[in-house]
Amino acid sequence: MASLIYCELLKLKRSRMLLISFLGGVVTPMMMIVDAVKIHYSDPTTAITLESLYHSCSLYSMLLVGLIVSTVIAAYLFSREHTERTLKIILTIPVSKHSFIASKFIMLLMWVTALSAISWASMFVFALPYHAVFGIAEFDVAVAVRYLGEMLLGGVLLFLTISPFAFLALWTKGLVVPIIAATSITMGNAALTNEALGALYPWTASYLLVHGSIAQTGYSYALAAGLVAFVSILGFLASVVYFQQEDIK
Amino acid sequence: MSEYVIETVGLTKRFGEQIGVSSLDLHVPRGKIYGLMGRNGAGKTTSMRMVLNLVRPTKGTILLFGQEHKKQQARTYRRIGSLIETPGFYENLTGPENLRILARLRGEHRKDSIDRALDIVGLSDQNDKVFSNYSLGMKQRLGIAAAIMHEPELLILDEPINGLDPIGIHEIRNFFLALRKEKGTTIFISSHVLSELEQLADIIGVMHEGRLLEEVNMAELHKRNRQYVEFAVSNVNTAALLLERQFKTTDYTVCDDRTIRLYDDLDRRGEINRCFVESNLCVTEITVSEEKLEDYFSGLIGGRGIG
Repeated sequence: MASLIYCELLKLKRSRMLLISFLGGVVTPMMMIVDAVKIHYSDPTTAITLESLYHSCSLYSMLLVGLIVSTVIAAYLFSREHTERTLKIILTIPVSKHSFIASKFIMLLMWVTALSAISWASMFVFALPYHAVFGIAEFDVAVAVRYLGEMLLGGVLLFLTISPFAFLALWTKGLVVPIIAATSITMGNAALTNEALGALYPWTASYLLVHGSIAQTGYSYALAAGLVAFVSILGFLASVVYFQQEDIK
Repeated sequence: MSEYVIETVGLTKRFGEQIGVSSLDLHVPRGKIYGLMGRNGAGKTTSMRMVLNLVRPTKGTILLFGQEHKKQQARTYRRIGSLIETPGFYENLTGPENLRILARLRGEHRKDSIDRALDIVGLSDQNDKVFSNYSLGMKQRLGIAAAIMHEPELLILDEPINGLDPIGIHEIRNFFLALRKEKGTTIFISSHVLSELEQLADIIGVMHEGRLLEEVNMAELHKRNRQYVEFAVSNVNTAALLLERQFKTTDYTVCDDRTIRLYDDLDRRGEINRCFVESNLCVTEITVSEEKLEDYFSGLIGGRGIG
């Protein structure tokens, strides 16, 4: 398994996807700073806090940008061997299909959580010049550290809820269908973020779980967590079963 | 130790209602080059994929090195090198980087195995080029390098000379022959280029519409193939008539509207030629030859051409 993961890392050499995903991780914090500058000029009395910056960054990362970027990464990882026709050479080494799929999911987990860490770090880096120029109220490193834990946990939950898109990438052998599906799910997120029903929508529920907002929806933690687990397990199982049964062309 | 490195019993693959491979009984002996022939869609690639465990058989048994192929898969498949159709590699990596990934996943390899394999296929001077910039021939060479780098006991090669230039074909052919001779490597190869198989294979298997029609030893095939004399004439109908009336033979075939092939009375070809000329036939060519693999192949599958 260690060799498989090491090889997954080797395969990324010169890959444009690394840069694309890095930009995907940086774009949300950048948008937060642009928004803060706009607020400063339109309403200078509104205080910008590090807490509010991180809160918005986490929200948009998990529910909008992060979901789509993570799906692009999942689709790339899971469809790559089909696109580049390398499965027939890898599986005949031999590498077991179970190990192969497991290594893909582990790689996806590492990549998505790394992306969360990049978003967290770039939020802090972008906040520094803003603080120097315009000033951030309650600029406290402890706030940033607290959000590191939340955003990493958010990354893990994001990984769990994108497993169905990994299956779609395996099934359709491309990026288009999973990205369309993720975009549709993102629209659901946008509609349900401030609704109680968001607790029943696994992709929104994962954000509510991370931020401890489930209680406000009136639904239980167990139900929301159960739905996240259900979607996640469904995606993992579908991927494993489909790949095991599939004939390699 | 089993006599056969690959043996299949009743191997069948269905794709829905369609039969890809039907009751295939293959016998690939140890240390020999086995050439699999067949038109497009005959089932050659599907058979090779099943042997390599890439495609699940609908029914039947595959024995590799004398034991069921799903037993001790890791150990069994490490003894095999393969190339199925156009090879796929990671586009953003160079040839050596791609091979390094395979070596790492395989776990055990000689330190110089990558350089050696690249040297054999003539890619040792292309170490900085990424795979996406490779020509078709270079891709094929890298595929062969990947198949041989761990010095397997069995090579399974589907159309390995696709895209290679004539010099490359010659080099790779000689390499395969040397592998069989010096290391006793068993090679299971398919090709559309029949003349190539003729020069390589010890045994030929002919597949048609998913079935294995015949497995034949090349030496036996050469013995079995008949000699003939071929006349290129201005009128094949008159020539046929003359053969039947003057020489009392019906052992001939009309190949096209100017060629007739006679299998009998080869020693009387001078006499026959004089007869043709005296009957106002223009004889432009007389060739004494032996049936080629292509003739044998066409005859076996019903003369419907080669795919």
